[in-house]
Amino acid sequence: MIKLKTAIKYIFLIIVSLISVFPLYWMAVSATHTSIEVIRGALLPGNYLFKNFANLLAAGDVSGAMANSFKYSIVMTVLALFICSLAGYGFEIYHDKAKDAIMSVLLLAMMVPFVAIMIPLFQAFSKWGLLNTTLGFLLPTISTPFLIMLFRQSARSFPHDILEAARLDGLNEFHIFLRIFVPTMKSTYASAAIITFMGAWNSYLWPKVIMTEKTSITMPMLVANLKEGYVTDYGVLMLAVLLCSIPTVIIFFLLQKQFAEGITGAVK
Amino acid sequence: MKKRILSALMVGAMCTGLLSGCGGGKAASTGDSSAADNAATATDDNTLTVWCWDPAFNINAMKEAEKVYQADHPDFKLNIVETPWADIQTKLSTAGAAGDLSTLPDIFLMQDNAFAKNQISFPDAFTNLTDTKAFDFTQFAPGKLAYSTINNVNYGVPFDNGTVIAAYRTDILEQAGYKVEDLTDIDWDKYIEIGKDVLAKTGKPLLSCQANEADIIMIMLQSTGASLFDAEGNPNIVGNETLKKALETYKELKESGVMVLVNDWDQYITTMNAETVAGTINGCWIMGSIRAAKDQSGKWAVTNLPKLAGIGEQTNYSNNGGSSWAVSGSSKKKDLAVDFLAKTFAGSTKLYDSILPSGALATWLPAGNTEAYSEKVEFFGGQEVYKLLTEFASKTPKNNTGVYYYEARDAVAVAATNIIAGADVDSELKTVQDTVNFAMGK
Repeated sequence: MIKLKTAIKYIFLIIVSLISVFPLYWMAVSATHTSIEVIRGALLPGNYLFKNFANLLAAGDVSGAMANSFKYSIVMTVLALFICSLAGYGFEIYHDKAKDAIMSVLLLAMMVPFVAIMIPLFQAFSKWGLLNTTLGFLLPTISTPFLIMLFRQSARSFPHDILEAARLDGLNEFHIFLRIFVPTMKSTYASAAIITFMGAWNSYLWPKVIMTEKTSITMPMLVANLKEGYVTDYGVLMLAVLLCSIPTVIIFFLLQKQFAEGITGAVK
Repeated sequence: MKKRILSALMVGAMCTGLLSGCGGGKAASTGDSSAADNAATATDDNTLTVWCWDPAFNINAMKEAEKVYQADHPDFKLNIVETPWADIQTKLSTAGAAGDLSTLPDIFLMQDNAFAKNQISFPDAFTNLTDTKAFDFTQFAPGKLAYSTINNVNYGVPFDNGTVIAAYRTDILEQAGYKVEDLTDIDWDKYIEIGKDVLAKTGKPLLSCQANEADIIMIMLQSTGASLFDAEGNPNIVGNETLKKALETYKELKESGVMVLVNDWDQYITTMNAETVAGTINGCWIMGSIRAAKDQSGKWAVTNLPKLAGIGEQTNYSNNGGSSWAVSGSSKKKDLAVDFLAKTFAGSTKLYDSILPSGALATWLPAGNTEAYSEKVEFFGGQEVYKLLTEFASKTPKNNTGVYYYEARDAVAVAATNIIAGADVDSELKTVQDTVNFAMGK
């Protein structure tokens, strides 16, 4: 009886995992076919991968887009992690009524959709001369209420006794943050890194609005360009989507364990 | 005290963060060539920046135009930035709403259906081309020119041809005992009659359409010279007999099985490429997608679309999609941009001959008289397709789009879905009118 139950459970799980893996499989397989084969529903790997790759290179500046995407995403991740963890730490460790009130305002800001602030933001950035600059790309999302909240929640489980001990030993406040808080919060940093990296990697609307030069193209923009013509080459498109997904997949698998820990830690 | 120091440190840290970002930004932009390009466009009087999409089509056409213009202006250069249509709209709306049009290029491509809406919303983003006196607009197909003409002023140079064709699989028609001639100069009743027969004999519908789009209904509407708006821009929906007839025809097409509905664009393309339908009706740009299935060469033929009998102008010609070039109102090189467009897209048969292989058909009528347009296209069974299309374009009635065209079009698409599900046509028309009035703030 128990065996039957387990069997049913496994069969169910296998079916569900097949359903979730299939689109990824299909994406990879489609990248090896001609457009017309993709349309006609090819399900096994084909032999058109290299031709698709050559066509993709001809269709857009792939290396430039990759380099830009990596540049923006890495700079964004490093800065966002530093700033938000510092803020989250500050909000929790030195909390008082005023800071808690500010935190609630920050959380409220999470509810305002980006499109609602895009036009005033564009106005401000154009006055400051930040259009077409990396800083203009990074600034609006460099510090997000969500990340601050994530770090604040994990700082909550940080034992205050250690703080006292460190202070007694003569460590100054910034060093406590840097040498004690940061190393113990690795899993939170890992999950924050994944979230920020993915967000920066996939960001489309804002960069598209303020970056008007063709040399500032990123991977999602490249993919969008491929889909825009009267005739879409689905093989090339799938290859581009595949290339665009690889970095985020790698980062996720590298930090998967810490990611799960970080998220559950924050909810606790 | 220590807390105060920490606070100061935090502020310092944040500033460092920002500054390092700033430094990174500067280093990055001087490091790559974008700054150089930027500077080149800003100071170089001979370079124009262009926004458009589709490398095989629009970008290719611009590159060919660059070559044509360079023959007389050797120093001339184009900086073409590939930008999907939706992004051009986003950028224009953002820049327009923020009141800073400096980010716009010198020339941009604009979808015809959105032309009036954008010109009326952001007049400063467009240059009045009538006043430049550089163009002879009478040489363009009137149905096409109307999209970029607002209050009798021309703001666009028509380019991409959206003339509607009906394309059929001759081999499938033959199995059912028909020829393309049997489907030429007919009305929708005849179309449905033949369609039923073809379906019964071959199992293939004549037409496939996207379920959530109103394309085919709009095509029917324009073929009679009718529109969703009157001359003053007020919604003309309740009591619009043409629209009612078009919606009823749409319902009949669906119920008879002559038309199948699919969920999205990719599925629509699949129905043709994977041979599940015997034909299609769309803007002539659809030929590119049809021709992607090389193994179907010689099995297709092109003709005009069925007319909506008994109403309006009753033509077999219409338009769907297409785009026009606009010169940005904020451009510092307006004269050059105008001269470039006038000598290429509005004045060079050579240009149109060279872009014909990509499927880019002229709406500039003199281009249709060249030898290249008489070419017999093997894929379409040796028909002189290009000549045919130029002829169709010249016979297409005008369409009045206005500011709320897309809202109205979407509302009609919703109504069409409801009507197929059994809703009453008159009450749906009322809903469409209410929706459009609401969008217009009436």
